[in-house]
Amino acid sequence: MKRELLAIGIVILILIGLPVGVFIYNRQHTNPDSPERLITIQAAVPEAGGFQPSAIKVTAGETVTLRFTSVDVTHGIAIGPGLGIDLGHVDPGHVQEVSLTFEKAGTYTFYCNTWCSPDHWRMRGTVDVIDPANPDAAPSPYHDPIIEQLVEEGVNIDANTTMDMPDHPQPDVLRFDQPASIEQGHILAASLVIPTELADTEWRLTHTPIEGLALLENNNPSISMSDLINVIAYMWTSDTPPEDIQWAEEYYNKNCAACHGQTGEGNGPAADQTAQSPVAFADFTYMFGMRSDVLYAKIRRGGMGTDMPNFGTLLTPEETLRLVGYLWQLAFKDRPN
Amino acid sequence: MSRVQKSFAWMRQHWVILIGIILAIGVMTFPIPQITDPQTRTITLDARQFEFAPHRIHINKGDRVIIQFTASDVVHGFYLDGYGIQERVEPGITKQIEFVAEHTGKFRYRCSVSCGSLHPFMIGELVVGPNEPFWRAIAFVIVSVITLIAYQFFSKGTSYEHATLGTSPA
Ligand code: HEC
Ligand SMILES: [Cu+2]
Ligand SMILES: [Cu+2]
Repeated sequence: MKRELLAIGIVILILIGLPVGVFIYNRQHTNPDSPERLITIQAAVPEAGGFQPSAIKVTAGETVTLRFTSVDVTHGIAIGPGLGIDLGHVDPGHVQEVSLTFEKAGTYTFYCNTWCSPDHWRMRGTVDVIDPANPDAAPSPYHDPIIEQLVEEGVNIDANTTMDMPDHPQPDVLRFDQPASIEQGHILAASLVIPTELADTEWRLTHTPIEGLALLENNNPSISMSDLINVIAYMWTSDTPPEDIQWAEEYYNKNCAACHGQTGEGNGPAADQTAQSPVAFADFTYMFGMRSDVLYAKIRRGGMGTDMPNFGTLLTPEETLRLVGYLWQLAFKDRPN
Repeated sequence: MSRVQKSFAWMRQHWVILIGIILAIGVMTFPIPQITDPQTRTITLDARQFEFAPHRIHINKGDRVIIQFTASDVVHGFYLDGYGIQERVEPGITKQIEFVAEHTGKFRYRCSVSCGSLHPFMIGELVVGPNEPFWRAIAFVIVSVITLIAYQFFSKGTSYEHATLGTSPA
């Protein structure tokens, strides 16, 4: 009799104690009294829904904690642009957390940066940061001088080459049969007559290496074409400092190489799944007809149904320019062959 | 018969067994010289859902191993048991893993990145040979079997005689 009572007592204790315990645990962990909000975001491969939720709203100045979990495979979490947040990987059954305060109203993007599935690059979510003084304001349109300039000039960034622009010198393709040497170009550059346009970073941003080559040739008629090409290769790769190149290389290897290939051959393992073939930056002749601002615009805006993702919502303009610098490295850097 | 004579007689009858035992001891203790000089081996190892290609790698002790590690669909990892080597690779990238095969035996390598449902089965095997105990055991078994067969063969006459003697008193 006594034992029976005891057993019933224990059962009742469990029945009541468990929910109460869970309640208290939840309360302590979400802590509703604290001003800091905790938002849990579940990561799954895009084929299974991607981030849940995939859009969150916060108020500027509010401190929030974002907690990322994974339900299937290893994902990577980064938030941009311009926040410099890379939480590394989140494995199934683990969490990654970050507490942050968005100072300015606007839209930010959290994204997966671990190649987790064929559709990985679609795995993104947005943080809408609302201005507390003006919560209904539409986000102000983003100004990008480089892209606006392109639009003004009427450049089609989806054209495969910028060489069909009016007045663009037509290259003699046969001249590009041997790889350039940045180092040789560096040594030679000091002894050549460099026209002022060519010496100007801004000018190089909006012109192709072929245009530069034509200018250089006019000013240095006695120098051999292969030497001139080396100088151009040097000039187009000299704008990005080594530490930026290193950053860009890491970013490229994680986010671009699966399609474009580690050395820029355009033959990464995901290349056969994209609607169009990824561009081969290692194709030196092709890159001679490319412009930095067009590369920049393409990275930021992405392709139109080509499966080239847009990175403008992930990267700052400066970071994008570093990537452009790295693409020139891929085109011109000495490679053993 | 004296003792010595007796044992001589035994040996006469059972010499096959004696040779067998000597051979077996030889097989187990004979020092095998290093078959090949240590080499540098470059191996391309590709990881995909949910297998490694190749899934078995044979090398010799002392070899310097260079694994060119790639992934052809999603991010995968490489963890080598016994050596504690770990690497991670993004699709499109070639990671170089270098080590010297100091321990002989069989070691499993497995994917160290949760890459999908069958991820736990993504396993390969690194065999660092010559895997002596294994081959010695095989040789031992072969020698034993041959000895037994030979013994049966050579001693047939004798045992037959014994048998006849024992069963034909009539
Ligand atoms: C999912 C595959 C994929 C990924 C990932 C990817 N790209 Fe692309 N990219 C493409 C495809 C396909 C094209 C060609 C079609 C086009 O131009 O839109 C392309 C084209 C481009 C172009 C245009 C070049 C030109 O001459 O017009 C640039 C620049 C570029 N990619 C840079 C990048 C960078 C930088 C990254 C990484 C931050 C990246 N891509 C990641 C698939 C990809
Ligand atoms: Cu992911
Ligand atoms: Cu794997």
